[in-house]
Amino acid sequence: MPRTPDGHPDLQGSWTNETLTPLQRPAGQGAVLSPDEVAAIELGREEYLLETTAIASDPNRPPPDPGGTDDPTCIESLCYNEVYTQRGERVAIVNGAPRSSLVTEPPDGRIPEATPEAQAELERYTANRAKFGEYDHPELRPLGERCIMSFGTSAGPPMLPNGWYNNNYIIVQTADHVMILAEMVHDTRIIRIGDGPRLPPDVRPWMGDSWGRWEGDTLVVETTNFHPLQRFRGYASDNMEVIERFSRVDENNLLYEFTIDDPATYAQPWGGQVPFVQLNEQIYEYACHEGNYSLTNILSGARYQEALYDYEDTN
Amino acid sequence: MGRRLIYGTISAGVMGLLAFAAPVVAHHAFGAEFDADAPIRLQGTIVRVEWVNPHSWIHIDVPNADGTSEVWMVEGGTPNVLLRRGLQRECLQIGMELIVDGYQAKDHSLPRANGRDVTFTDGTRFFMGSSGTGAPQDGAERQSLEAGRGRC
Repeated sequence: MPRTPDGHPDLQGSWTNETLTPLQRPAGQGAVLSPDEVAAIELGREEYLLETTAIASDPNRPPPDPGGTDDPTCIESLCYNEVYTQRGERVAIVNGAPRSSLVTEPPDGRIPEATPEAQAELERYTANRAKFGEYDHPELRPLGERCIMSFGTSAGPPMLPNGWYNNNYIIVQTADHVMILAEMVHDTRIIRIGDGPRLPPDVRPWMGDSWGRWEGDTLVVETTNFHPLQRFRGYASDNMEVIERFSRVDENNLLYEFTIDDPATYAQPWGGQVPFVQLNEQIYEYACHEGNYSLTNILSGARYQEALYDYEDTN
Repeated sequence: MGRRLIYGTISAGVMGLLAFAAPVVAHHAFGAEFDADAPIRLQGTIVRVEWVNPHSWIHIDVPNADGTSEVWMVEGGTPNVLLRRGLQRECLQIGMELIVDGYQAKDHSLPRANGRDVTFTDGTRFFMGSSGTGAPQDGAERQSLEAGRGRC
């Protein structure tokens, strides 16, 4: 195992956590995939990718259908074809076992239901948001769209694959700091190593306040003080704590384990294991604001549609 | 109407766009930016390529029936993915002709669209498939598929 001059495992390099294994375990599925199940998932993905990207389209094809596509692989009905995605090509393998879910605790691989209090809080938040049109102001748009934080929880913590693309990271390590750059969307977290004073409760940076310590060959990182707008999975309380464990398994693999401890939101802690695989390539810059036509298109599109309604109402 | 066909209509379905959406949005919202009721097919020549995040944009000059032309901006995937998939800069050169199908931006005053399927004029796509899993599979079928791979 590579080590730094101070003797700790060397976590540095470019890594990816993209995987075909979903966050939560599908119903009726065991924790470990059989060889047939692995083949069905990985070869199915490979065949789908080849079929949807390598075979020529009809040059005389008409426009797509009005109302969007019913392609089940699309999250939204106007999605791109597979040229534009990079969801991973392998299932997650941990300790030699192909996994059916990234969540491993509780053992059923499912995220526990939120507490009634957390659900009530989400309803209150949702009702408050409903007082405003979601396209009325740029600050009402999601953090990812505004280039503030990654889509999904790429940067985290916890750092989870987003199911789309750019699930890549750079880790730089010194004796007293570890820096993690998430490619999506260029979010940089600096973890202090040691046991210094935590931030006061009212100081809440993006990605929280992370402190790390070495337990043997594992780097354990505890993060608190999350920014209130990060709202992990929509429910996070002010007291959410995320515990991460980084273990260098071998030259090409790093095991990333995470635990969510937020009693106000979940009656029990939950967490999982995500393999990070060495990327033998550079991470490209993600200069998000510079080319973000999307946000202006979304807002100007809403203004255009409003004007159409006004026109229709008065004619 | 020449080589550009726009089947865009505003319908009652647009009302749904004004409804409140869930606060947790996992991804850049296609539905917020592009009009599902405005499918579009464009054919034109590349005049500019922007390799910018969070999405690449290809500018193509599209002839109109009256002899004029209009430059459309077509949104593509994140450039990091395109580069990793082997789409080098040389693959998209000024003057190349492309066919795009997708959906027009909700702001119909802008000549912008998402590029759901972008190909050369013979229909070939401009990039390679995946890098492969390395797992054993049906060789004949795979060779057949790979033979049809794009030109970059």
